[in-house]
Amino acid sequence: MKNRLKLLRVERDWTQEQLGQALGVSRQAVNALETEKHDPSLDLAYRIAVLFDRPVEDIFENPHA
Amino acid sequence: MSVVNNGTPAGRRYVIRTFAFMVPYVLICLSMTMTDAFDQIIGKPAGWGLAAVVSAPVIGQLWATLSLMRESDEFVRAVVAKQFIIAAGLAMAAATFWGFAENFAAAPHLPGWLIYAAFWGAFGCISPFIRASN
Repeated sequence: MKNRLKLLRVERDWTQEQLGQALGVSRQAVNALETEKHDPSLDLAYRIAVLFDRPVEDIFENPHA
Repeated sequence: MSVVNNGTPAGRRYVIRTFAFMVPYVLICLSMTMTDAFDQIIGKPAGWGLAAVVSAPVIGQLWATLSLMRESDEFVRAVVAKQFIIAAGLAMAAATFWGFAENFAAAPHLPGWLIYAAFWGAFGCISPFIRASN
């Protein structure tokens, strides 16, 4: 799923490890999200949205829209 | 770094548990096949006990894998499940093929317990190529 996760992370000068810790997931999971190798669950998508204080749609592109 | 051995506490626990189960398994297998340590119980009721003992680490490894999936995040869980399903499918396909080859093509008999080694062989071969959950 296309997303702006890497952009948002880099804007904050966070590493994948730091973002993973903030979200409670592994660095591999963050990398997989950024490279579109993993579609997040609704729960994880909302956690990401809360962390970056943005709506989910601002971070993840709706593939069905 | 692999998805399983990913440096997380869950990944480290999985590696430790795997060694704890696999070392006794390999040692018993080696002593069964390379020494005469167990020859006196072959064909006796104690032989069933030995078969159960040597198989127990396989159950332990299943528990270790399920624990890894329970303790990991959703990405690791999905990738490990995918890797195990494909490796198990390949091992079952190989065992099924060879079983029928023994029946219909006079292939030499191979012991059934080799399926476990076949599973891990398949797991090792496919894991580097399965890095996505979708």
